[in-house]
Amino acid sequence: MKNDVRERRTAKGLAQGELAQALAVSRQTVNSIETGRYTPSLPLAIAIARFFGTTVEEIFHADHV
Amino acid sequence: MQTMSRPNRQYWGTLALGTGIGAVYLIGFVIGGRPLDGVIALAIMVGFSGAMYLVARRSETVRGLLDRRDERITAIDLRATAVTALAMIAVVLVGFVVDIARGGSGWPWYLIGAVGGLAYIAAVAVFRIRG
Repeated sequence: MKNDVRERRTAKGLAQGELAQALAVSRQTVNSIETGRYTPSLPLAIAIARFFGTTVEEIFHADHV
Repeated sequence: MQTMSRPNRQYWGTLALGTGIGAVYLIGFVIGGRPLDGVIALAIMVGFSGAMYLVARRSETVRGLLDRRDERITAIDLRATAVTALAMIAVVLVGFVVDIARGGSGWPWYLIGAVGGLAYIAAVAVFRIRG
């Protein structure tokens, strides 16, 4: 699933590890989400959206809806 | 950058669990009159769990597998477990067929297969109820 996590993270000047720490996941998981290889669960997607102060649908873009 | 915790009590718990299982093996072998084999089995379990502990200090994935805080690694673990189960099912089926082809009764392969099948049915029933 395409998303804007990388763009929003770099705009905040955060490293993947720092975002991972804030979300209580591994750096590898943040990398996998950013590259679209892993689609996060709804709770994690909400946590990501809250971290960036926006909504899930503003960050994650479903390919087929 | 390391984002997940360094080895802590949970990783020591893995080491303790491995050692405990090895101790049970040792007791079994001693009761069976083969204490040396028991010592070897204990050493293997201590060595394996010790290796896991050491690898966890460097590998984010292994740390994730041990502390279960990361949903992606938990999902990887779940899929890996499913693949392992498929491999075990294949071994049981082949073992059963080879045994009956040799004139055997299929023991203990059919028992292992039956336990696996019943466990699967029970798990589906439970998870279906739990949603």
